[in-house]
Amino acid sequence: MYKLCKDITTDKAQCIKRLADNAFIPFDPANTDYQEYLEWLAEGNTPEPAEE
Amino acid sequence: MSSISVNTITDASGGTTTSINGYTPTVSNMAGRNRIINGDMRIDQRNAGASVSGYFSYAVDRFNVGKNAGETAAFTQQRDTSAPAGFNNSLKFTVTTAQTSFTASQRVDIRQRIEGFNVADLNFGTANASPITLSFWVRSSLTGTFGGSISNGAYNRAYPYSYTINVADTWEYKTITIQGDTTGTWATDNSNGMAVTWCLGGGSSALGTAGAWVSSSVFGVTGQVNLVGTSGATFYITGVQLESGSVATPFEHRQYGQELALCQRYFEIQHFCATGYGNGSNGILFTTPFSATKRAIPTMTDVGLSYGGYTVGSINVNANPTFVGGFTTSLSSVLEIGVASALVRCQTLLTASAEL
Repeated sequence: MYKLCKDITTDKAQCIKRLADNAFIPFDPANTDYQEYLEWLAEGNTPEPAEE
Repeated sequence: MSSISVNTITDASGGTTTSINGYTPTVSNMAGRNRIINGDMRIDQRNAGASVSGYFSYAVDRFNVGKNAGETAAFTQQRDTSAPAGFNNSLKFTVTTAQTSFTASQRVDIRQRIEGFNVADLNFGTANASPITLSFWVRSSLTGTFGGSISNGAYNRAYPYSYTINVADTWEYKTITIQGDTTGTWATDNSNGMAVTWCLGGGSSALGTAGAWVSSSVFGVTGQVNLVGTSGATFYITGVQLESGSVATPFEHRQYGQELALCQRYFEIQHFCATGYGNGSNGILFTTPFSATKRAIPTMTDVGLSYGGYTVGSINVNANPTFVGGFTTSLSSVLEIGVASALVRCQTLLTASAEL
């Protein structure tokens, strides 16, 4: 499971939080954790929204 | 300008100490040959020698254990002090729950994935592909034919190789020379350029015939020892070297600081400490550079320190970052929200992972 994280200084989604270990995953196509997240999305899953 | 073209240069007495401008080149002082990082298993940033279990976990830096799906074998792995002469450490793998049968694509393997930048000069996937030589020291409680493979990043090109462990619980040196792959797609950037695998058991399609390139995912050789089929079986490996050419040269011993820096491109534990002044409402963004530029923007995890949120002198110490972001390959960032109108120090322990 994942949750979007928003940077309050920009009010934009900054990265994804992997809830299993609270790791912060960047939106970098070269990051293998992000690649796994994209596969998870492709399976039809949806991350939890960022906190306002 | 003149040139010479000869087959052999020897010194005046016929020996092998010929010098060039006062320098005697030998195989052991030519730097940069080994494409494997942490091949002598010295660096263990995550565990400092403690045992770990679980697939995809790292015991020593840069080496982890792979699988396909549904494997039931369980194991531990750790940095060990058993090693052949010239080495001080090895990676030890111990089977704790045996798996005696596999589905076709299942397998258990120790592996290192090499960044494309570090194998680009081998020219794999072209007519100019260089031969490569893999060498390593290995020890196991089991004997017989073992296997592994060299694969591209997409795992659709593979070269299974085999080696024999002749005597149980005894260090043995193995070398395998492989003709370069002239076809397939081999990454030459910061993605997975080449995967080196030591297979410890697998199913029919995960294993193949040694000695030829195939266009499929293969990790070991047909008929090889199923190490994970024996509870309590052990497998040690160290002195891993992958180099260009058809000759296995002596292991390239790099200085500790050099090896650590190479490892930190892929994983680093950062003692994050930064200071700022809060206004009681908006957040403070703290940044700290990494020790080494990362392969990619890393995944950041706050593993914390036990300082708690108390005051040191006139400085409020926040040990629980609200938000951690590896904003660049060279800089980590922590955002503290709701800090007091005071001087604030953000202090914690972060891990940055950009593994392949």
